[in-house]
Amino acid sequence: MSSSTVTMGQKKITGSLRGYLILLFLVVLSWGIFKILTPHNFGSFNNMLSYFQASLIASVGAVGFYFVMVMGMFDFSIGANIMLSAIVGCVFATKFGLGYIGLVLGALFCGCMVGLFNGSFYVKLRIPSMIVTTGLALIYEAVANYIAGGVEQTLPADLRMFGQMPGDIVLAIAAFLVAYVFLNYTKIGTYTYAIGSNEFVAKNMGINVNKYKVLAFILSGGFLGIMAVLTISYGSSMVAVTGMASMSRNFVPTMGCFFGVAFKKYGIPLQAIIIGEFIINIIFFGFIALGAPTAIQDVITGFALLIIITVTSKIKKGEIVK
Amino acid sequence: MAAVGKAGTTVNKEEQVKKVSEMSMVRTFLPIVGLIIVFLIFNVLTNFRMIKNMPLVLSQIYVTMIATTGVFFIMTMGGLDFSQGSILGIASIVVCMVSKISIPLSIVSGIIAGALIGAFNGYFYVYRKIKSFIVTICTMFLFRGFIKYMTTNAPVAGSATLINYDSTGLKVLLTLIILVIGFVLFRYTKFGTYLKAIGAGEKAAMFSGVRTDLMKFWVYVLSGAITGFAAFVNVIKVGSVTSSGGNQLETQILIALVLGGMPISGGAKVRFENIIVGSLLYIVLNSGLTMMGFSTQMMQLIQGIVFLVFVAIFADRQSLQVIK
Amino acid sequence: MSEIRLQVKNLCKSFGITKAVQDVSFSINKGEVHALIGENGSGKSTLTNMLTGIYTIDSGTFILDDEEIHPKNQVDANDHGVSIIVQELGTLSGLTVAENIFLGHEDRFVKFGIKNTKQMIKEANDLLHRYGFDRIKAQRMIDDYNFEDRKLVEIVKATYFDPKIVVIDETTTALSQEGRNELYKVMDRIRESGNTIIFISHDLQEVLDHSDTITILRDGVYIDTVKSKDVTEEDLKRLMVGREVTGDYYRSDYGSVISDEVVLSVKDVSVPGLLSNLNFELHKGEILGFGGLSESGMHEVGKAIFGASYDRQGTVKLSDGTEINDIPTAISHSIAYTSKDRDNESVVLNQSIMDNICLPSLDKLSDKRHMLHDKTLRTFADKFAKEMSVKMVNVDQFVSDLSGGNKQKVVLARWIGKDSDIVVLDSPTRGIDIKVKQDIYQLMDRMRKDGKSIIMISEELMELIGMCDRIIIMKDGMISGQIERHETLDENNLITMMV
Repeated sequence: MSSSTVTMGQKKITGSLRGYLILLFLVVLSWGIFKILTPHNFGSFNNMLSYFQASLIASVGAVGFYFVMVMGMFDFSIGANIMLSAIVGCVFATKFGLGYIGLVLGALFCGCMVGLFNGSFYVKLRIPSMIVTTGLALIYEAVANYIAGGVEQTLPADLRMFGQMPGDIVLAIAAFLVAYVFLNYTKIGTYTYAIGSNEFVAKNMGINVNKYKVLAFILSGGFLGIMAVLTISYGSSMVAVTGMASMSRNFVPTMGCFFGVAFKKYGIPLQAIIIGEFIINIIFFGFIALGAPTAIQDVITGFALLIIITVTSKIKKGEIVK
Repeated sequence: MAAVGKAGTTVNKEEQVKKVSEMSMVRTFLPIVGLIIVFLIFNVLTNFRMIKNMPLVLSQIYVTMIATTGVFFIMTMGGLDFSQGSILGIASIVVCMVSKISIPLSIVSGIIAGALIGAFNGYFYVYRKIKSFIVTICTMFLFRGFIKYMTTNAPVAGSATLINYDSTGLKVLLTLIILVIGFVLFRYTKFGTYLKAIGAGEKAAMFSGVRTDLMKFWVYVLSGAITGFAAFVNVIKVGSVTSSGGNQLETQILIALVLGGMPISGGAKVRFENIIVGSLLYIVLNSGLTMMGFSTQMMQLIQGIVFLVFVAIFADRQSLQVIK
Repeated sequence: MSEIRLQVKNLCKSFGITKAVQDVSFSINKGEVHALIGENGSGKSTLTNMLTGIYTIDSGTFILDDEEIHPKNQVDANDHGVSIIVQELGTLSGLTVAENIFLGHEDRFVKFGIKNTKQMIKEANDLLHRYGFDRIKAQRMIDDYNFEDRKLVEIVKATYFDPKIVVIDETTTALSQEGRNELYKVMDRIRESGNTIIFISHDLQEVLDHSDTITILRDGVYIDTVKSKDVTEEDLKRLMVGREVTGDYYRSDYGSVISDEVVLSVKDVSVPGLLSNLNFELHKGEILGFGGLSESGMHEVGKAIFGASYDRQGTVKLSDGTEINDIPTAISHSIAYTSKDRDNESVVLNQSIMDNICLPSLDKLSDKRHMLHDKTLRTFADKFAKEMSVKMVNVDQFVSDLSGGNKQKVVLARWIGKDSDIVVLDSPTRGIDIKVKQDIYQLMDRMRKDGKSIIMISEELMELIGMCDRIIIMKDGMISGQIERHETLDENNLITMMV
């Protein structure tokens, strides 16, 4: 017994190291492939830095969504939340003249509120979360459209600090730190894993499961609010689309989240999300450098997510999947 | 912890039986009563414009109703399919392109195209064990990308002769054919019983001799094929496919089924009537709101609220031990 | 020493129509190991689950040190000084060992919302050290440890705060001898400190060796409380089984000759991690029993025969040479199977009795054009449900509303309707009351006489001895012995082969 624990102790150290090595390998691999295919307009240091900056946007949302996903729930309203929060932030910043404070706090507040709605409806109605959030996404889209008055909301040029270096990096790193603290140094983090592992046992341990599920949604919503700030700052404007078109914004954060879930066992979920989003962006920009038409990017996104999930999830024999 | 599930069932037996039968009454009649009431209200509010324009109102229903039949089978098993719109779009493009060679061939090609996408979904869902809603949002996005790519420069137009088929009679006939075949399959063959068993308890169904994986895979193929068939009905109406071809069909289907009283988790409590009542209710609601001059976002808001209310009423919570 | 710690007063609990605990009263003293014994379904776990807040109490009270307690959940129970080590795995994966130990009690490490992980790990490591479990490290993920070590973590979790009462619910079956010794040491320490242990175990020898007092329950009813030193294992058995077990409870014939005709032969069957190299034959009209510890692989035997195992090697062959490799083939060749996991693998819980009974027979029930008619199905289901005397309103009732015994009857009705010749019953009487048990035994006896062959897999040795022509004992996925039916057979003959 005691000899096996020694080797187990070493495995722990190599555990996270191995996770990092796999991720690093994936980064180098995806970079290498496109660098060979299109050596001149891809993959210089400056290119990579800009890919990384672009990937930070989705990473921020993904680290928040991770809390919801680990509990085993899902959220179809991510895109609608980002859209709504960006528009609310923009309105606070411009129409109410609150500047940066309005932008950040407005979006953050709106994101948390959306999370609160998602969580409470899910808990109170007792319907699967993905169905609740699908229904609510319809409503959020409509509300966003109403607030925007059907016109594109543009963030004035003097409020786009978070769209470039160093503003975006500072905000993103701040968000990552908050997520890291929540996950590792609060009860919420512990209970998130506990509920994700076994709800019945967690309930018997006196954990108020519903409360923590709602909290996870609020937390996720808040991070998506920050993602909304980065999104509108980077893209300078936001159109309120309807008809579930906002769903296309769900994909990139969700993809990163699957990286997080897959690397949970190495103890580096948040780090994996950040690097994972970076890898996804390298591939995106690689295809752009190759001159792939924009429509094909959606094909790649959809396919990439499917492959990532296929590769990262283990098939359990006899498991019932719906 | 095996016995924990029992803890909730302390209510005495007769009470429970009564409650169940009450609930099944609500499940059966609420959608129908709702349909009648909504229909009457809109007619009054629009000065009977709706009833006068009934052919126009119904012209939107055929594609939805046909495709809903396929998704109904999927949802009976407890699965979901968000890629229906993209299937319709791709199949419509195929129908348009092939229609220049031969119309009958184009129908078959549409069905094959739909079935292939269904098989793609089914493969990842059944044999890679990825949750159906995740697989199908991926394929929704993936094939939507293809549709956009194919229609980048101009819409894909079908043969000019297609328009000759655009008669209400034919569309009603085709819809009825699908519904009748679907109804007989579901109600009077083991297919329906097996589907419900998979939805109500997949493991137990497997131990009762149902080839669950095979069934699940082929139902996805079947549903794709049915929507591929709907593509023909779609194309004879619109004549060409744009980048938004088939957009949102999945949401419409989901809302329609829920409005029809279908429990979202499938299982033994689904009824074939869910398809018909649900699609009708959805269309009446939609065209009624349009006729009354509501804006798109207002309609969507109402849709969202109605959807949530109906899901909440019809959800079969008993069969969901842990709701995720 | 003999001060009263806990009084159980008129305690009742029902699940639907099953009375799991009926008006039970007794008391437990300070500084003793108080064993709770009884057959499966006698209400031991239900009782302790109420004490620890896992179930709610229907009526009656627990009085702990003159204070009435109604724990809402385990943590609440802990705050009253009651803790439990459960039968199943009670640790949560994805958390560290330290987080598992202090789950629900994090507040003392939290300052301004921030958890002092370092302090928590340190204290957890100190605790592990105190228990002598130094090989387990508090900062590591619980997933890094095997079942046995995770149980040890649970022992720490349940006892570190010096609770007044610790419930140990059949923990020992999951442990190796080494792990058991660790547990006994902890038990001794708790007793010496003047606190109390409620000890639940099926192993009567273990109960006699390690407890001071024994309370016996039977079918949810309190039977007696005795001093361990005053009784023998035989006495306990008699008290547990009670007088109801008369001659015709099990089958009464001995020495009947079993046909030489082999209906099913199992050759070199292995299932990775569960079974290795299984060989046996089943004869016509025989009841073949499989016994062993729960983890011995015996439950997999049924699945392997039915074609339900994953990655099975070797062959399962019928007398006509048909090989059984999947469930549909098994069913169409007249093999039936009832799973131990009744609610998930036997009945389709949220479906009507009618559909449940008809499910495997739908081909037979279809008309010439492969059409099914409600009337045919209803008549069929009704006939076999009535034959099995299922207590129901009508066949449209959902199976989820039925009691465990009636669910099992629905399953049996299904296979009798299918007219299966080879019937594999895994734990057919698990959690079922005496009356229905007797019905099932009689049914088995009838089927045997009709020339059907039965495989009965059970953890209850008494019923194996009472019903089977031949008993195969499993250990570590292999056959460790075989015994023929005999009047003088008793549990000890089997137990020696099991452990």
